[in-house]
Amino acid sequence: MLQYTIQRIALALGIVFVAMSALFGVMIALPGDPTSVLLGPRATPEIRAMFRAQMGLDDPVLLQILRFWGRVLSGDLGTDFFRNRPVSEAVLNALPHTVALVFGAIFWSATLGILLGAFSADRRNSLLDRLTGVLSVAFIAAPSFVVALYSLLLFAVVLRWFPSIGAGEPGDILSRIHHLVLPSLAIGLAWVGYVARIVRASMLEAMNESFIRTARAFGLPRRRVTYNYALRVAILPAVQVLGVGIGGMLSSAVFAEIVFSRPGIGTLIYDSVSSRNYPVVMGSMLVAIGFFVTCALIADLINAALDPRHRTSR
Amino acid sequence: MQKSSLKRAFPALSRRQLLGGAAGLSAATMFPVTAWAQGSQLNVRVYTEPDEADPLDASGFGEAMLYGCIYRNLIQYVPGDTWDHQLDLAESIEQTSDTTIAFTLKEGQMWSDGYGEITAEDVAFTFQRNLDPEMNSRILPDIGPLARVEVTGSHSGVFHFDEPYAPFWTIALPYLAGAIMCKAAIEEAGGRIDTNVPPTVSGPYRVREQRPGERWVLDRNTDYTGDMPAEFERCDIVYIGDEAAAEIALEAGDLDFTEVSPGSVARLQDAAPANTDMSMHPSLFYVWVGMNLDNPKFEDIRVRQAIQNAINVDTILEAAWYDVAEPSTGIIAPGLIGHRPASMIPSEGDPQRARALLDEAGIDRLQVTLNVLNDVTFTTAAQVMQATMTEAGIDLMIEVHESGSFWTLGVEADGERWRDLELIMNRFSMLPDPSYATAWFTTEQIGDWNWERFSNEEFDRLHEEARTETDADRRDEMYRRAQDLMEESGAYRFITHGVTPNLYYTSVVPATRPDGLPLVQYFRRA
Repeated sequence: MLQYTIQRIALALGIVFVAMSALFGVMIALPGDPTSVLLGPRATPEIRAMFRAQMGLDDPVLLQILRFWGRVLSGDLGTDFFRNRPVSEAVLNALPHTVALVFGAIFWSATLGILLGAFSADRRNSLLDRLTGVLSVAFIAAPSFVVALYSLLLFAVVLRWFPSIGAGEPGDILSRIHHLVLPSLAIGLAWVGYVARIVRASMLEAMNESFIRTARAFGLPRRRVTYNYALRVAILPAVQVLGVGIGGMLSSAVFAEIVFSRPGIGTLIYDSVSSRNYPVVMGSMLVAIGFFVTCALIADLINAALDPRHRTSR
Repeated sequence: MQKSSLKRAFPALSRRQLLGGAAGLSAATMFPVTAWAQGSQLNVRVYTEPDEADPLDASGFGEAMLYGCIYRNLIQYVPGDTWDHQLDLAESIEQTSDTTIAFTLKEGQMWSDGYGEITAEDVAFTFQRNLDPEMNSRILPDIGPLARVEVTGSHSGVFHFDEPYAPFWTIALPYLAGAIMCKAAIEEAGGRIDTNVPPTVSGPYRVREQRPGERWVLDRNTDYTGDMPAEFERCDIVYIGDEAAAEIALEAGDLDFTEVSPGSVARLQDAAPANTDMSMHPSLFYVWVGMNLDNPKFEDIRVRQAIQNAINVDTILEAAWYDVAEPSTGIIAPGLIGHRPASMIPSEGDPQRARALLDEAGIDRLQVTLNVLNDVTFTTAAQVMQATMTEAGIDLMIEVHESGSFWTLGVEADGERWRDLELIMNRFSMLPDPSYATAWFTTEQIGDWNWERFSNEEFDRLHEEARTETDADRRDEMYRRAQDLMEESGAYRFITHGVTPNLYYTSVVPATRPDGLPLVQYFRRA
C-alpha cells in the first residue's frame, strides 16, 4: 500500500506539472496583450512599460515558466500586478466558495443517488424502479447550466425560497448553506443519475452474494439485509465515480458561479483569462488542477485500501 | 419497570424520527422567515467590479460608484437629465483665468475615525499625488495639464494649469481624480491605500468589507458632515457581470436597482415585476463600424463610401438593440458639447449608391471581414449587416472574438494582426467631455487605440485646440467638424450610443447621471 501510495502521489505531481506547463504555453500563445486589455486606453506608456516589466512579458517563454515554478516551489503564487495583491490572496478568497460548491454537489449526488439507486434495486422491475431509471437518465442528460437557470427561476424568482445571488453572510453558516443549496444542486443533479444507476447495478450484484443469502437465512428483516448489508458493499463503486466526477463538477462550477453570481475559482479563472491577467490565471489554475488531482488521488487510495485488487491493476 | 410519566408523555424517539425531525428543522430554517427590513439595506448592481479603494489605481465606473459613496469631491454630478455639477465639499469654485481655478472649502467638513477636518491640504495632496511619477497613477490623463495645486489658506486653494483645460470640470473634479483623499491617512499608510477598507472616509457611507467577486458592503458613515446623509443603514454594491443574471436577481428581490439589457425592455414594459419601474437613458458610449485604412482593400475612398452607404443602421438597431436605441450621428452623445445634429449618410443607408460606388471603383463583388466582440448584441448586428449589405454587392464574413483577443486586434504591440484587419464593429466607453471621445482617433493613437489608422492633420489640431478652448460654442463647432472629418474619410459608419435601461423597485427613488449610471450616494427611500 505504501508503494502504491508513493506511485500515485508521484503520478499526481507529474500530472500537475505537465498540465500547468502546457497551460502556460497556451496562455502565452493566445492573442491579446495583457497591458492593453487590463489597463485600458488611459494607461500612459510609462505605466504600460512598468506593467510589462513586472509581469516579465518580454522575457523568453522558457524563462517565464521556470520563474513561475521557482516561485511555486517557494510557496509564492505570484503577484496580481493589476490589483497590487498577491495571487494567493485572490485564490484563497475564491477557493473556499468553489470547494463548498463542489462538496455540496457531492453531498446531493451521493445522498440522492445512493437513496434512489438503493430504492430502485430494492423494488426491481416495479413501476417505481422504471420511473427512477427514467429520472436518472434525465438527470444525466440535463446540462447543469440549464438546471441552474430553471432552478433559479423556480425557487428563487417564483417561490423566493432561496436567494438568487451571492454566497451568504460571512460567519453565518445557515446563510452560507442557504445560498449553497441551488447552485450545488444544479451541479450535482447530473451525478445523482450516474450514482443511482451505479448503486442499483452494484446492489443487484451484491444481493446475489452468498453473505446476503446467509443473512436472509438467519431471518434478518429484508430491509435490514438490503440497506445494512448489500448497500454497504454497493456504495464502493460510487466512491470511485464521484472521485472522477469532481473534475466535471469543477467545470460545471464555472456555470453555476456565473448564473448565481457566486465568487469562486471558476469565475476568477474566467475573468482573468478574459483580461489576460497571467499571474492570476496561472495561480488559480494551479490550485484548481491541484484540487482535482488531489481528490482523484484520495478516491484512488480509498479504493485501493478497500479493495487490494486495485493496487496491482494496470 | 414502569415508565416514568415523562417518558409516557414523551415516548423515546427512534433514531429515524430524530434524524427526520432535525432535517425538517434544518429545512425550515432555509426558508426566509423574515425578509430584511424594508429600507434598511440597499442593493445596487454594478457591471464591473470595483477593485481599489485608492483612486490612483482606479480603472473605471465600478470605482466611481464606490467612491461616490465613501469619498467626497469638490463638485459632484447633478442627478437628472442634464450634465451639470453641484457643490459638495466646495463652498465656491470658479475659473479665475484660462489656467487657474480657485476654490474655497466649506468649513467643518470632517474625515471619519478621528482624522479631523477636510482642508485645502487634502485637496492639494489628492491631485498632486497623481503628478508624482512614482505613484504610477492610472487616472493621470484625467487631470490633463495640471501643474500644481497652490494652498492659499486652510480652506482655500488654486489649481494651476500649464494650459487651459476645459475637461477638468467634467471628467476630473466630479469623477475619479476628484475624490478627495485624507493626506494624513494616506501618509500613515505609506503613500497608498493597499487595503479594501480605507483608514478614513468622508462620504455618506463607509466600507465594512469587500467580498471579492461578490460585493462591497457599506455601512452608514455616522461621522458624515455633508448635506446628503446616507438614507440606508447598509448599502451593498453588488458585482454581477451578466445582465441576465442581474435581471433575475432583481426579480428575485436580491437587488433594488440594476441596468437591464435592451432585449428585456419590451418584456419588462409589458409584464414588469410587481412594484418595479423602468427608466431609459441615452448612453454616452458609442458604437461604430471602422475600416482599416492601411488595408489595400480600402485604399479607394469609393470602396469605403460604398461600405458606409451599404450599412443600414435602422435595421441593425431594430434587430440588435430591439428598437430602443437611436442612430448616432457621431461619437459624441446628445447633451454634450460637440454633438452633431445629423450625420452625412442617412441612418437607413443607401444600397443603390453603394452599388454605384462599387461599380465606379470597378468592383463587382466585394468580400470583407467584419471583426466583432462575442457579445450577442454585436454578433446580431453583424449578422444583420451580412444580410443587408449583400444587396449592394458586399459579401461580409464575420469573425467573432472573445474579449481578450478582441481588445488588442488593432494594437501593434500585440503582433501583426492589425495588418490584416478589415472592418471592426467597436464600442468605446465615454466620459462626459467630448475630448474623451476624439482622443482615441488622433494620429498619435495609431497602433494603439486608433485601429482605423486614421490620420488627419486638421483632426489632430482640432482635438488639441478644443481641449484648451474655453468658449463652449467654439468647442462645440470644433468637435462637430472633427466628426465631419471622420465621416468624410469614409472610414467610419456611426451606429448608436445605445441606451441604459434601468429597472428598480418603487420602494427606492434612484438617482442617476444623465446617461443612466447610478449615483448611489443620492438614492432615497420612496
